[in-house]
Amino acid sequence: MWVTNLKVVGIVLGTLALYTLIANKIPQVQSEVPQALTLGADVTPEQLVAAGEKLFNGAGGCTACHGLGTRAPNLLTDEKGTGPIGARCGKREAGKTCKEYLFESLDQPAAFIVPGYQPIMPVMTKQLSPAQIWALISFLESQGGTVDVTAADIPAQTVPAAGGGSPGASSAGGAAFAGGSTDPMAIITAAGCLGCHKLNGTGGVIAPDLTHVGARRTADSIRRKILDPASSIAKGYEKMAGIMPKTFGTMMSAAQLEALVQFLASHK
Amino acid sequence: MTPFLLQAAADTSRAYGEFPVIGARAAVWIAAEVHLMFAAFVLGVPMFAVVTEAIGIFGKDQRYDRLSKEFTRLLLVAYSATAIWGAILVFFLATLYPRFWAYLTAIFHVSMWVYAGLFFFESFTLYLYYYGWDRWKTGRAKWGHWGLGILLNVWGTIVMLIANAWLTYMMSPPRDITPTTDPTSIKLWHAIANATWMPINVHRLIANVVFGGAIVGAYASYRFLAARTDEERAHYDWMGYVGNFIAISALIVLPFAGYWLGREIYQYDQSMGITMMGGFMSWLWVIQAFLIAVLFLTGNYYLWIGMGRIPGAERFRPYTKWLLVVLVLGALVWGTPHTMIADSKELAAMGGSHHPVLGALGVMSAKNTAVNLMILTTFLSFLMYRRANKRPVVPWARTGTLVQAAMFALAAAVVLFFGIRGYFVEAIVRIGFSVYQVGAVLSCILFVTIIDILMARGAQSLGTIQWGKMPARSQYALFVLAVTFTWLMGLMGFARSGIRMHWHVWQVVQDTSKYAATPALGYASRMISLCVLIFLSLVAFVFWLGGLAEKSTYVAGHGEAGRGDAPHVGH
Repeated sequence: MWVTNLKVVGIVLGTLALYTLIANKIPQVQSEVPQALTLGADVTPEQLVAAGEKLFNGAGGCTACHGLGTRAPNLLTDEKGTGPIGARCGKREAGKTCKEYLFESLDQPAAFIVPGYQPIMPVMTKQLSPAQIWALISFLESQGGTVDVTAADIPAQTVPAAGGGSPGASSAGGAAFAGGSTDPMAIITAAGCLGCHKLNGTGGVIAPDLTHVGARRTADSIRRKILDPASSIAKGYEKMAGIMPKTFGTMMSAAQLEALVQFLASHK
Repeated sequence: MTPFLLQAAADTSRAYGEFPVIGARAAVWIAAEVHLMFAAFVLGVPMFAVVTEAIGIFGKDQRYDRLSKEFTRLLLVAYSATAIWGAILVFFLATLYPRFWAYLTAIFHVSMWVYAGLFFFESFTLYLYYYGWDRWKTGRAKWGHWGLGILLNVWGTIVMLIANAWLTYMMSPPRDITPTTDPTSIKLWHAIANATWMPINVHRLIANVVFGGAIVGAYASYRFLAARTDEERAHYDWMGYVGNFIAISALIVLPFAGYWLGREIYQYDQSMGITMMGGFMSWLWVIQAFLIAVLFLTGNYYLWIGMGRIPGAERFRPYTKWLLVVLVLGALVWGTPHTMIADSKELAAMGGSHHPVLGALGVMSAKNTAVNLMILTTFLSFLMYRRANKRPVVPWARTGTLVQAAMFALAAAVVLFFGIRGYFVEAIVRIGFSVYQVGAVLSCILFVTIIDILMARGAQSLGTIQWGKMPARSQYALFVLAVTFTWLMGLMGFARSGIRMHWHVWQVVQDTSKYAATPALGYASRMISLCVLIFLSLVAFVFWLGGLAEKSTYVAGHGEAGRGDAPHVGH
């Protein structure tokens, strides 16, 4: 019986060892907690690129879609003979430099969708601090291009996402959203609403036109929609459900929210 | 300062305790995982125990009744271990994650009281069910006893639904709940009925049956190896077969429940879905594919060896090598990586974002095709096993067999057609194709089984199954199955929990402890193996304890096997 017992123990341990060995042999990727990034006035391009690379491969979560070539354009390798992102970024949109295009991609990703891809890119300026955003841009520029980001590009009042900053915990968040202004248009601009929505003839088309939103929704309904975008989906936009960030409610003060709600409700 | 930052600052103040040597996270991980494994066992086994008892009642076959009682005896000894590990988990959470625990209790305290009450009912129903077995064994009393078995399942299922609400709330809290929401203001039902609650409920319900069957199979295989008489060996051979049959049968439908869960996760939060399938967790699915391949291959291997004890099975033996080819090819396709996390060096080494040749096999079209063909192949193995010692005598037997073959061919053709077509259509269309593939396979399984049952009426027997005449290696295969199922459960638990990343409650309660980063697969695999080892060691111990108090329900002298009508299923 001891022989049988030993065989059973051997099979159990052997099977466990095999699975553990395989899991340890594959690439080891750990999810990173977003850390505060403090860059001084004398920051060098090399430091920015290094910080950006870390974000790109880690807490930024970029590699979940980019670099793989199916969900989003591959940024690190050549695409259709145009080279990696640093080489092609200045040619994507007419009149936009590489730096401007990359910032727009991170701040208002819906403003320009690369043909053949879906508008699934989240607004990264709501997830990362300005310092992190500019570090990312530096890294992307370094992929086949020239890094022209300097300390001057990074806003002086950068609030690091301390204690493990979080999606939604952007430095531009909370009471600092739109500088704390209660001017509805300033809030709309700062929040990037026009990246998806159109208002008075300006803005994107992947979300409902807000020009006459007050005729379709009450103030309560608009407020609920801002706080909980999934609470109702406009007819014809069902496929876009889930794209509107759910963090706006935590990124503006009550006064800002009310100003925005009343402004939109008055657009009948 | 944003509400998030305020929260982060607050959480660092006495929010976490520390556990010696292994740390707080590992301590909670072990307690939760081992508790879950025991809980899955004690929730899964009553489901098929009550079905087996019903087969015994309706078929007037005492062997099934005794088998059901033996299942329940295993349950009895595992039950207290479940409760002990549950208590350990609660104490660890309360002392190592006190602030987060306070948050959860602020929302769910009423459900926790109900949970405790139901646990009480469940315990006493189980005791009545087991200890009343021989007292209420005939007539109306037997029906009442069977009713107790059903009641046991009802209590157990509600207990599971409540516990699932807590963990799914952590994954997918309702959208209107933010970091600044006072937890005491959250309505209980609002928190319970979150986006992933029902998919998890269904997925776990099925997975518990799979798991319970696998552990019962391993128990029976050990008893088979330790048996001293042919009768005992025959009984445990049969029990092992039933356990394996239950596990593999339920496993076949499990991926569909998993698909639903995955879809709900994507719909709830696309970034969470991407983290799970294409983000830092992407390599996990390659490991999962390997484990599933082991399950399919080992399950089929056990059936093929089992055919050696069935007179008449020789005529099917030449086909097994082709079944093996399909299974191996299917496993290789399923395990082909596609959208993996890769750095620039790795991408350069691969020559692009995908492997130039194998990359085409890593897409969903190929994988869905592979797994559906593997399921069809496994079903064919089972069908051959089932028909091995029977020769149909119904006049339409030849036509029936041809219709069955045509159904297999049609199902395989549908699977292949949509698999290939999937390469030429948009993703949104391609996703819909999997429904047609699954529909074809399930329809084939259903209709072929119905035809087979009708064809088996009055079938000529080519000989009785020689229960007990199995080589030892077949029993070791059952051990591999049990270990693999348990490990897979730990791996999927890590996936479900890990996609929350540095959040206790997704985007509501942040993990600000030093363990906030979700570990890589290597560390996770070591933790999973440790949990599996603890669980299996304890299972062996409690089963041994149970054996000290009471002998098997099969005792020499019943003489079924000796009479030549050895216990069997479906023959």
